[in-house]
Amino acid sequence: MIATLNKYWQSFLVGIQSNIVYRWNFFLRGLFSLTHLIVVVALWSAAYHGHPTIGGFSLGATLTYFVVMLGLQYFIGAFNEDYQISEEIRNGLINQFLLKPINYFAYRFSIFISARTVSGLLILIPVGVAYAFLHHDISLPPESWRLWIGLPALLMSALIQFTIAYCFGLLSFWFLEIQSFIILSYAIETLLGGQMFPLDLMPANLYRISEYLPYFYQMYFPAAIFTGRIATPAQALSGLAIQACWVVALLAIAALLWRRGLRRHTAVGG
Amino acid sequence: MKLAHYARVWLASARYSIIRTMMFRFDFLMWTLVEFFWMSVNILLIGIIYAHTSSIAGWSKYEMLLLVGTAMILQRLVMGLFWSNLFELGRNIRSGQFDFFLCQPGNPIFMVSTRKLDPDGLLNSIVAIAVVVYSAHRLGLHPTILNIALYVLLLFISLIIHYSALLLIVSTTFWIIGTEGIEGGYFNIFEFSRLPREALRGAASLIFVYGLPAVVASNVPASVLIHGFEPMNMLWLAGLAVVWFWLAVWCFRRGLRRYSSASS
Repeated sequence: MIATLNKYWQSFLVGIQSNIVYRWNFFLRGLFSLTHLIVVVALWSAAYHGHPTIGGFSLGATLTYFVVMLGLQYFIGAFNEDYQISEEIRNGLINQFLLKPINYFAYRFSIFISARTVSGLLILIPVGVAYAFLHHDISLPPESWRLWIGLPALLMSALIQFTIAYCFGLLSFWFLEIQSFIILSYAIETLLGGQMFPLDLMPANLYRISEYLPYFYQMYFPAAIFTGRIATPAQALSGLAIQACWVVALLAIAALLWRRGLRRHTAVGG
Repeated sequence: MKLAHYARVWLASARYSIIRTMMFRFDFLMWTLVEFFWMSVNILLIGIIYAHTSSIAGWSKYEMLLLVGTAMILQRLVMGLFWSNLFELGRNIRSGQFDFFLCQPGNPIFMVSTRKLDPDGLLNSIVAIAVVVYSAHRLGLHPTILNIALYVLLLFISLIIHYSALLLIVSTTFWIIGTEGIEGGYFNIFEFSRLPREALRGAASLIFVYGLPAVVASNVPASVLIHGFEPMNMLWLAGLAVVWFWLAVWCFRRGLRRYSSASS
């Protein structure tokens, strides 16, 4: 058990090193995300003009939501894991993992955690800058249950983010070019994952449907717990149960795609 | 004569791109869907906000939709005409394949910018035009032929601004090699093009209205349809196009002097 953990710990450490190489890239992306935050602040401030609340939330609550979403994106979001996996399949690098006593999913997941550790720490700088400008508006609700339910929700969100990216990467077993699938999925995630607007602003019936989709649990769910958009512990716990079901379902899909994909794999190059 | 030569080169590239697209029909369909979906996401955002409010910085729902439609036309044209080319420019500088363009008998900026067309982006610009036409209809606008011609002219000038900004961003690769993904900065900057000018105040207005050209590039053409002929705004836009294009070309040429190829 310890030997197994040690194996993935080593790949985590290698991942940290190789991601530190891209520190400027992450930092610049984080900085660019600040421009997105400026658009969000300008747009929503203008929309709130003359309205103390929208959808029952103040401007401050909505801006807090977007700042938390920005932070979460760099702490738990999948970036280019799908491309990396796709590349490894296409150019045959994956062959080496087939011959070693290493689980490809676990290996990739440990690299993902290391990448998010680096990008998560780097995003603290732009988020700190945003906080300096918006600290009058930003406030998180104080209830302690938000932390206890929010943290497992956060971990499962990271797992969902990674597993979806992993599944898209595995599509390379079947398709030569998967970029369009990824960007289409990204567009759906942006909409149904709550990055464009808080999902609770949607019409009630659409919101209820979205609660049963995996995108809801990719980032919106923990953000909504932390920022007060999910009001009661009961709502949060029922969400946590649906989220757990999606984790299991996605892991099963990933395992299925891996098995089926390997049957088609012809191990060219390497 | 020279212009005719470049037109022939561009037409040959366009023909090649269309043939290539027809060879990968599924890919074409997927990319068309992707772009269509992205546009729908932006329109939905407008729908959601206006379900809770009646005005954003003094712009009504359909005025805002007209603005967003204008921004989308510009972005689809950039995607259709230039994106793939300039995206690959960064990669080619890093890999050394840029040599291939330098060997071609023609202006390097023209050659790197026009090799490929993406018909999906161009196709979706029709959807964006439909959004503008629909918004104008809902606003009860009856633009004259002159107004429409002005709108098209301003779109063309704004397209030069968009192209220049993208070229400028990608040209940084000549100096900083590890810039994978820097092209994405274009989307960050031009995200502002979906905002009304009046929504930005203070320092944000200074930087994003008067410093960077994104807001002006969409607001000025949209205003021509909504409010009619505004000569000062048009001059402002034209001036910006000249400055940004000059800056992009200058930066590209300076970068070119630094370029020393790569690998073997």
